[in-house]
Amino acid sequence: MHVKPASWVTGPADAPEPGPPYIYAISSGKGGVGKTSITVNLAYALAGQGSRVLVVDGDLGLANIDVLLGLTVATTISDVLERGQEARVALVQVEPNLAILPAASGVPEMVNLAPQDREVLEELLLALGQGFHYVLIDTAAGIGHSVLWFNALADCSLVVLTPDPTSLTDAYALIKVLCQRQPQPHVMIVVNQVASEQEAQQVYDHLKRVTERFLGVTPLYAGAVPKAPEVIQGVRQQTPFLKSAPGGKATQAVRALAGKLGRQPGDGR
Amino acid sequence: MPVRHTLVGNDLGGIAGMLSCCELPQIECVCPLGHQGCPLVEEVERLQAECRRLAELSHTDPLTGVFNYRHLIVSLEQEMERTRRTELPTALIMIDLDHFKLVNDRYGHTVGDAALRWVCQLWGRNVRRLDTLCRYGGEEFALILPGSRMAAAVQTARRLQKTLAASPLHYEGYEIPLTASFGVDVYRGEMGVGAIELIKRADEFLRLAKVQGRNRCCYRQQRAQSLATEVSAAERAALFPPAGGTYARETG
Repeated sequence: MHVKPASWVTGPADAPEPGPPYIYAISSGKGGVGKTSITVNLAYALAGQGSRVLVVDGDLGLANIDVLLGLTVATTISDVLERGQEARVALVQVEPNLAILPAASGVPEMVNLAPQDREVLEELLLALGQGFHYVLIDTAAGIGHSVLWFNALADCSLVVLTPDPTSLTDAYALIKVLCQRQPQPHVMIVVNQVASEQEAQQVYDHLKRVTERFLGVTPLYAGAVPKAPEVIQGVRQQTPFLKSAPGGKATQAVRALAGKLGRQPGDGR
Repeated sequence: MPVRHTLVGNDLGGIAGMLSCCELPQIECVCPLGHQGCPLVEEVERLQAECRRLAELSHTDPLTGVFNYRHLIVSLEQEMERTRRTELPTALIMIDLDHFKLVNDRYGHTVGDAALRWVCQLWGRNVRRLDTLCRYGGEEFALILPGSRMAAAVQTARRLQKTLAASPLHYEGYEIPLTASFGVDVYRGEMGVGAIELIKRADEFLRLAKVQGRNRCCYRQQRAQSLATEVSAAERAALFPPAGGTYARETG
């Protein structure tokens, strides 16, 4: 994919400033549930609705959003933190109102951010987010320090899981840890790779019952994305399925998801 | 930026030689009038040397050459602050030589002193350059391990324990067996805990090692800390779908 620097972000704003962005942290507990694919396609869907969207690759040591989009990245979050490079230079504009903040891959020391790095990164993200309506942070797999930190920074934790029991357990573990960090975390659930809407609903109901019983927390249902061939193809072709299969079932599902999540800031919360 | 250099004449090499604080930079003195053997320059150089000697004395133990109690507190506070900033844990090992009074009583204090120097030499060779070995007082020592988790600290403590147990002091024809007890604890950035508190915590485990029969290492079992976020058996049972693989609604 041809990439140009995000010039509109650096240049004088011709559109009115959107105010502080609404930040989603997208996590899963378990890896390999399609979290990054959902993040990227959700970002395209939100941008398609006319919102300015910034995607942050929060898997700081093993980034792969750039891989999923076939980007060649020159500057990463790691360069900004380690070498003090200008943060806006790192932004990659992939659509008229969609920018990516890429992370480094294969930089183990970035996996766990030290507190002083977090202070810098928080300031940086909040400053960068100023031009956007939404910031989507694709966090690393697991429940490590950086995952919890990004979730604490976010307005809403979007938890992605599949009907697989191990994914359910790991998503629950994530929610449990989030509950210990803040009393009532704002958690929304996306069920990925489902056979039917009914299955998604069942998985969500089941998880909700357990979190309500043991944690006293009710996560909200955000939506589901079906298991579809275009999803796998999209990953292989390094193209979001929203673009490669605009009429597909997965695309429709993500558009519906964006419709639901896109309403969040206007809820007056 | 403190200047680092190894102090000349220190038989312990890297231990007390690596000073990170209270160190004085060496400034070359030249007589402004160009006099050879200027008495003022000589006096300044003498005072500089004296200053360095006193600075060294202020944080090393003269008998063993390792750091003293004052340096232990300063260095431990510094490492604990680093832990709070970086989240890399700081480990502390408190060590006590077993039945040391018997060595003094049986062989005399000269031999006792030689034993103290001997263990410091032995241990000094078995720790990393960034570890700080201090004489806490009497026959008690403290070892600071920056950026170390419990497992690594316990491994180090056991290594020091075994090394000493296998290396008796040979002194004036005597072969004197020596052993020590070790108590280990790790600081992970808990608020409201200072150097004294951490020493007290590690000391508790040292006392336990003594009570359990000496020549051993005791440390905090860490299991309890992770329990709060662990998915319990009951939660797991509730999470796994009933046989058949469906998430059907629970009955009853």
